[in-house]
Amino acid sequence: MKRFVLLAAVLPGLTFAGTAAAQGAAAPPAPPDYSAFPCLSYSLPCGKVATRQPVQKALEGPLNGNAAKGKQIAQARDRGNCLACHVMPGGSQPGSRGPDLSHFGSTGRSEAEAYAMVWDMRTVNPETLMPPFGTNAILSEQELRDVVAFLLSSK
Amino acid sequence: MFERKRIPLLSALVLALSAGCAVLGDGTHRERYADAQIDPFRGVEGDVGFSDTIQYWRDEAALARHAALADKPAEQWKLNWKHMDLDRMELHPGHLAVDEGQAMVKKLAARDSAFLACLGEGSPELKGKAAAYPKFDEALDRIVTVEARIEHCAKRVLKEEIRQGTPPNNKISVYFKSLSAGTPIRVDLSDANVMEAYRRGEELFYRKTGQLNFACASCHVPGSIMGHKLRGETPTTPFGDAAHYPTYRTPVGALESIQERFARCHGQMRTQALKPGDPAYADLEVFMTVLSNGYPVSVPSAR
Ligand code: HEC
Ligand code: HEC
Repeated sequence: MKRFVLLAAVLPGLTFAGTAAAQGAAAPPAPPDYSAFPCLSYSLPCGKVATRQPVQKALEGPLNGNAAKGKQIAQARDRGNCLACHVMPGGSQPGSRGPDLSHFGSTGRSEAEAYAMVWDMRTVNPETLMPPFGTNAILSEQELRDVVAFLLSSK
Repeated sequence: MFERKRIPLLSALVLALSAGCAVLGDGTHRERYADAQIDPFRGVEGDVGFSDTIQYWRDEAALARHAALADKPAEQWKLNWKHMDLDRMELHPGHLAVDEGQAMVKKLAARDSAFLACLGEGSPELKGKAAAYPKFDEALDRIVTVEARIEHCAKRVLKEEIRQGTPPNNKISVYFKSLSAGTPIRVDLSDANVMEAYRRGEELFYRKTGQLNFACASCHVPGSIMGHKLRGETPTTPFGDAAHYPTYRTPVGALESIQERFARCHGQMRTQALKPGDPAYADLEVFMTVLSNGYPVSVPSAR
């Protein structure tokens, strides 16, 4: 009943323990550097960094996404971690703030539409809570294509 | 005098069109989470009409009436973890920290009694004083939290570094605050400098930052992720939180100040975290402590 769960388990970005174990390293790795993005400091340069403007990104060429890889990326807490907010096929402890995506492939969305939404949901809803996965380089181009393939394969 | 300006309908429409954007004083474009309109003068009662969960955790009687929520995964967040304060009857490491902090203060004061007088701002009596923090210190010309006072007095009187966010500072802070346990928090909003710090902290609370483009408000106001599952956890209301810090964090087996908690939320937001004692964190602490005004100091605590 008590919630002695590390917040580290909640969002992408904090998998220090896992990374260290994987590398067999003794010392914990330095925290990732996010200074290219806005922060709250009154004096550090990141305090003056602007929010990246919404980008309406068009899908170029064939999707070429791997749905199986996309599923892993969507679940990984240090990658997409879509599960933090969405119910999706597979994965444990889904979040409840975003819409259920288990049947997204049956909603008639095109590859280009889905791609643009994951790239930057602010182009659809300026007030969205969903992180801009493409604009802020949270996922690479190929990872994003894999995730879209996974979304469209969820029927 | 400090009332929020009422926004006439027409300009409200214009605001809606430019929703979510703000330009910092220096011309930098920043997105903001929509303002939740908190009235600072209501203190912790501002949660009424906000999350409305205060009815479940306002006091021990309310907690006793709603104890069953603790076993309901979808509703447990409504207790705002205040049911864990009832653990204070049990001995947890937070209590040991009080003893350790007391012993440390005794030792430091033995070296120079001016240390205690510095902590107590002129008198060695510390009872009840922590409930009025953060405050504006005229001589230092800045906002001072309990942890900042400890750091300052150690340096000024003893020429010793007891930096904020370190275990010794947290232990002394837990001891200092335990001497106000049960006293309602009363951050002084009639001090214009404190009010300005509150407004700055409020602005920071709504400002989107980091790679994930979240604001504190993205998780801690109604309509956001608050009350929703975020994989293993559920973010709760920000009202009443400041009352139990520094807290003993059982999962990591260490004390944590509220500013260290800010840094941890910032890590999760993939935002450059700031050091405890940073002026921006001091302003955020003022904002969050005003949201605990009227709620009793609940230190020591474990979470
Ligand atoms: C922090 C919360 C959050 C995270 C993390 C998140 N989303 Fe979302 N997502 C939302 C919300 C909220 C919506 C609803 C639309 C809105 O508010 O913009 C949404 C909507 C969507 C939609 C549109 C659904 C529809 O039928 O219109 C898709 C597709 C989507 N998300 C995919 C993803 C993918 C893929 C990821 C991970 C790579 C992800 N989301 C991560 C919050 C999130
Ligand atoms: C993406 C989600 C998210 C964001 C953004 C976020 N938090 Fe949190 N926060 C949480 C979760 C989850 C918890 C643990 C559950 C709880 O107590 O609310 C938490 C807990 C806290 C606590 C401890 C509450 C307690 O009872 O001990 C404080 C204080 C806090 N957050 C402040 C902030 C501040 C200040 C910011 C912005 C700098 C922020 N949070 C941003 C998710 C978030």
